[in-house]
Amino acid sequence: MSEAPLLEVTNLATHFHARAGVVKAVDGVSFALKRGEVMGLVGESGSGKSITGFSIIGLIDPPGRVEPGSSVKLEERELVGLAPSDLRKIRGKQISMVFQDPMMTLNPMLTIGTQIRLALEAHETVSGTEARRRSVAALAQVRIPDPDAKVDFYPHQFSGGMRQRVAIAIALLHRPKLIICDEPTTALDVSVQAEILAEMKELVAELGTALIWISHDLAVVAELADHVCVMRHGKIVEAGPTLQVLTHPQHPYTQALLDALPSRSEPGKLLAGGVGSDVAPPPRVAKQAPAPVADAAHYVRIEHVAKRFAQTPGLFRKLAQKAGLSKAPVAVQAVDDITLVLKRGEALGLVGESGSGKSTLGRVAAGIYAPDSGSVRIDGAPVMSAGEQPYKVTTRVQTIFQDPFASLNPRMTVGDSIAEGPLTHGLIERAQAKTYVRQWLAAVGLNPDFADRYPHQFSGGQRQRVAIARALAMQPDVVVCDEPVASLDVSIQAQIINLLIRLRQELDLTLIFISHDLSVVRHLCDRVAIMYRGRIVESGPAGEVYDRPQHDYTKRLLAAVPVLPGG
Amino acid sequence: MTDASPAARFWAEFRESRTAVVALAVVVVMIGIALLAPLVAPQDPYDLANLSLSDARRPPGFVGEGGYTHWLGTDAQGRDLLSAILYGLRISLQMGLIAGAFAFILGVSLGIGAAYAGGRREAFIMRVIDLQLAFPAILLALVLSALLGQGKMQLIAALAAAQYAYFARTAHGAASAERGKDYVEAVLSTPLPAWRVVLRHIFPNCLPPLIVVATVQVANAIALEATLSFLGVGLPVTEPSLGMLIANGFQYMLSGRYWISIYPGIALIVLIVAINLVGDRIRDQVNPRLKR
Amino acid sequence: MLGHIASRLAQAIVVMLVMSVLVFVGVYAIGNPIDVLIGPDVSQELRLQTIAHYGLDRPLWEQYLTFLGRVLHGDFGRSFVFGMPVMDLILSRLPATLELTLAAVCGAALIGVPAGIYAGYRPDSVASKLIMTVSILGFSVPTFWIGLVLIMAFAVELQWLPAGGRGETVSIFGVAWSFLTLNGLSHLLLPALNLAFFKLALMTRLARAGTRETMLSDTVKFARAAGLSEWTVLRRHVLRLIAIPLVTVFGLEFGSTLAFAVVTETIFSWPGIGKLIIDSIQSLDRPVMVAYLMLVAFVFITINFLVDLAYVGLDPRLRKGGAR
Repeated sequence: MSEAPLLEVTNLATHFHARAGVVKAVDGVSFALKRGEVMGLVGESGSGKSITGFSIIGLIDPPGRVEPGSSVKLEERELVGLAPSDLRKIRGKQISMVFQDPMMTLNPMLTIGTQIRLALEAHETVSGTEARRRSVAALAQVRIPDPDAKVDFYPHQFSGGMRQRVAIAIALLHRPKLIICDEPTTALDVSVQAEILAEMKELVAELGTALIWISHDLAVVAELADHVCVMRHGKIVEAGPTLQVLTHPQHPYTQALLDALPSRSEPGKLLAGGVGSDVAPPPRVAKQAPAPVADAAHYVRIEHVAKRFAQTPGLFRKLAQKAGLSKAPVAVQAVDDITLVLKRGEALGLVGESGSGKSTLGRVAAGIYAPDSGSVRIDGAPVMSAGEQPYKVTTRVQTIFQDPFASLNPRMTVGDSIAEGPLTHGLIERAQAKTYVRQWLAAVGLNPDFADRYPHQFSGGQRQRVAIARALAMQPDVVVCDEPVASLDVSIQAQIINLLIRLRQELDLTLIFISHDLSVVRHLCDRVAIMYRGRIVESGPAGEVYDRPQHDYTKRLLAAVPVLPGG
Repeated sequence: MTDASPAARFWAEFRESRTAVVALAVVVVMIGIALLAPLVAPQDPYDLANLSLSDARRPPGFVGEGGYTHWLGTDAQGRDLLSAILYGLRISLQMGLIAGAFAFILGVSLGIGAAYAGGRREAFIMRVIDLQLAFPAILLALVLSALLGQGKMQLIAALAAAQYAYFARTAHGAASAERGKDYVEAVLSTPLPAWRVVLRHIFPNCLPPLIVVATVQVANAIALEATLSFLGVGLPVTEPSLGMLIANGFQYMLSGRYWISIYPGIALIVLIVAINLVGDRIRDQVNPRLKR
Repeated sequence: MLGHIASRLAQAIVVMLVMSVLVFVGVYAIGNPIDVLIGPDVSQELRLQTIAHYGLDRPLWEQYLTFLGRVLHGDFGRSFVFGMPVMDLILSRLPATLELTLAAVCGAALIGVPAGIYAGYRPDSVASKLIMTVSILGFSVPTFWIGLVLIMAFAVELQWLPAGGRGETVSIFGVAWSFLTLNGLSHLLLPALNLAFFKLALMTRLARAGTRETMLSDTVKFARAAGLSEWTVLRRHVLRLIAIPLVTVFGLEFGSTLAFAVVTETIFSWPGIGKLIIDSIQSLDRPVMVAYLMLVAFVFITINFLVDLAYVGLDPRLRKGGAR
């Protein structure tokens, strides 16, 4: 039975015309989608996958433009070049879209009910009572509990996952023929992601809606999509049935993407894609004769550490509270009596979802926050000073942060950023600074001549290398890595992981690796600790925890991770 | 990948707006004229010997005693208006820039200091700043001028007191935002001493919004000084700023001798508008939420 | 939420007290305290009497308390220049200024906000560029200059409107208002326009900036993706999102407009309290200065408080039932 395709995209090209030149975000993309089919659109950042989605629904703002010669046909009707008023009638009714960040897509000033009603009224006339009834029904459809009450809530009263469900409910309101989802679960926790994926599968089957799921995550796409298109530099490099593409990729790029995934590789081994550097890091500076390590088995001791965050009310607020007019603010116990011991040279993975306290614990270990109680010691020496206002007294533990765009001072050259710490602490003399910086840049796989460049002149992956160089230039013994690869593309991620593996070996570093990404942690770490709501629920050798999880939460977490076929 | 420092990049982006570049040129030219006024003005308006009442209130183009052509006419005392405007420009710019500089130093120190201190002290300082911001600047300047008396230094003090709060609030906002960013945490955790972090890391990154406020405030100071002079509370009569000139000529407007007020007025407006245009462009450049 | 309001109210009262101390210290620190109460050309005997009567030979803190007590009763002494109780003086001229200020502020908001939203919605259109140019002028050009130009253009050259003074008034609740008569309106128009210019420019620019930012936000994109018409997007989403910064500035600038009335009233000879304060400063009529300052302080503290309340009304995130 040859059925006419629901959506037919031919030679779609979307270019951005800036004064500096033309950026070809989408450069000749063609595919077809049948009724009720689910297609995955996969690519790294800059591949043009999101822009493709926006082009189909007609939301490209100047200076972007869908170029003439492009064709997007919905049920044989041409959408490119359609009058704006006609296009508006299609948006939300025949094609709708769900965006990535639910925090930003819902208006914080209006109730959920109002926003659903506005979406309803965009295409039909409904009375107040009818609108309310349908809003409640829409919320129920996406499995939001107690929809009758929730309809009058404001967005800030929902969690991230619930907000995304609301967005999906709005997208489903008019029973569209096609829904385009632009990375809808990227900003959500793994367990929430798993729930939403399952629900989407059911809804799509129930309603017969076609789905275009845009993502950088191959495993997520594998769970959901019938067929997959892989994009790179604005073009589709490979397309086909999901199973086939993922188990027998034809194009080298697809192959490279798959190889770069930690889940596809043996733990501890370098991933494909190389490190980008063969240069050995500079030798350790012996400030004084290095003291013999007192106790290698208990090198890092984090003992009974607790950290609480509470808003301190102002003077008048306190008075109001005393008068009973106002409640005391809610405090968050981010870290709740945690004890961890690391061996010298060990890599410990701290895994958890948002709110688990893993970042806070990492920062306490690194000396960024002072714990409310408990202590952190490295080789017996305390990290924080004693007293009322503790401050960090050691340079032996350094941190690498998540966001490469935010972790470097944009107004300092990378050379200065790397050299600042060592110079201040007397690890090197001013005369040696230049050479020292060059050595480190080479060690992390960057051209030493780039020392005089500014952060904005580097890509995300390169900036992360600079951040690594900066941390390691302080010659630490312990490095806390706070989600260092979470913001990076898969292929770059592989390189950075390789770099960390290599440097760890060569410098005999002890690592605390914080991540929400279970496969990365499995690949890199010897031991793993699973955190939930400020406590460690399970810990042990990585292999053990992953293959034979004991605690319920661990089991749930592992079950929620989408798995690639053939992986 | 551009091979450029933040400053060079900033300038390149600035240049993209022709209006802003023209405005900047105008400002630079006016500053130049103001600096060179003693050399450039055809006549020294303060030299009493040059005043001759018989030449008073003459229209533009009038050729007076001594053979000077008064290109813009003369004022009520017989001063050459062109020279008076040049000197007036000088004074107006002086007031604006010096008062602005004082306000900048005071305000920025307070704002960044409050952000650094944190806790109760920060809350207290910022509450005071907020309240002062709600208090109308013109009133503050009026009252302070009246209390402190007439004179350049007093006026500068009044203007600076009326304006430092804007700098303080902007500096505090910017410093707080930077304080929360990863690179500051990274640098603090090396560990590096707090003073170094504030000076070398936080402050330079607060500069862009501060520059915006600075341009607006300098323009405001100039306008405020002109208003105060117009109301008779500003500078002494012996050193007429543009505002004073306009005030002096006000009474002659209705009788048709418009030039005595209009020309100084035009000079004032051009200056202020140019400064504001430059500030506008910088503000757009610096606003992260406008980057698509 | 109640706690929030209560704490804000407490803060407002504290600030009012602080202001009273500042005013007291300021006026008393400059010159002789007796000068606040009686003129300089009074007989020695009367001077001594007044000193004793007002307790000016008492310690400073006691004097402050007496001062505070008198103020709370509305007794600000007598004006040197006019010889009448200051409170009466101010109250008689306040309606004129209020009328002018309200006219200016409402005009500025009603014209400025829609113009700004349009300019933000279509930032590259000719109308938008025109609006922005005019707003830069309104923002930069000193109020007194605009007043001059207005008088030159409309009063002298075109002779359409009067050049100064207040028109005929109609009494409502014992207070004289002039906007209810045609003559009164014609006198009100130019000064109100003059006063409104700055605020108009400010509101326009703010509305434009806010609209531009909001139009680029994900919220608007999502709303468009759901098929909402542009008009609905503007009305229901953009307006709500820019409301808070607009209300803040509107409220805070009210005090500033009230103060700027000083200039307009001088140029247009409008018989309000602005003109009063200028005359008082020049003639060193201290009781009037004190009263005026306290009044302005009271007005802007009240407005601050009202704006805080408005926040709670506008931003659901500040209400009870907070975030999860």
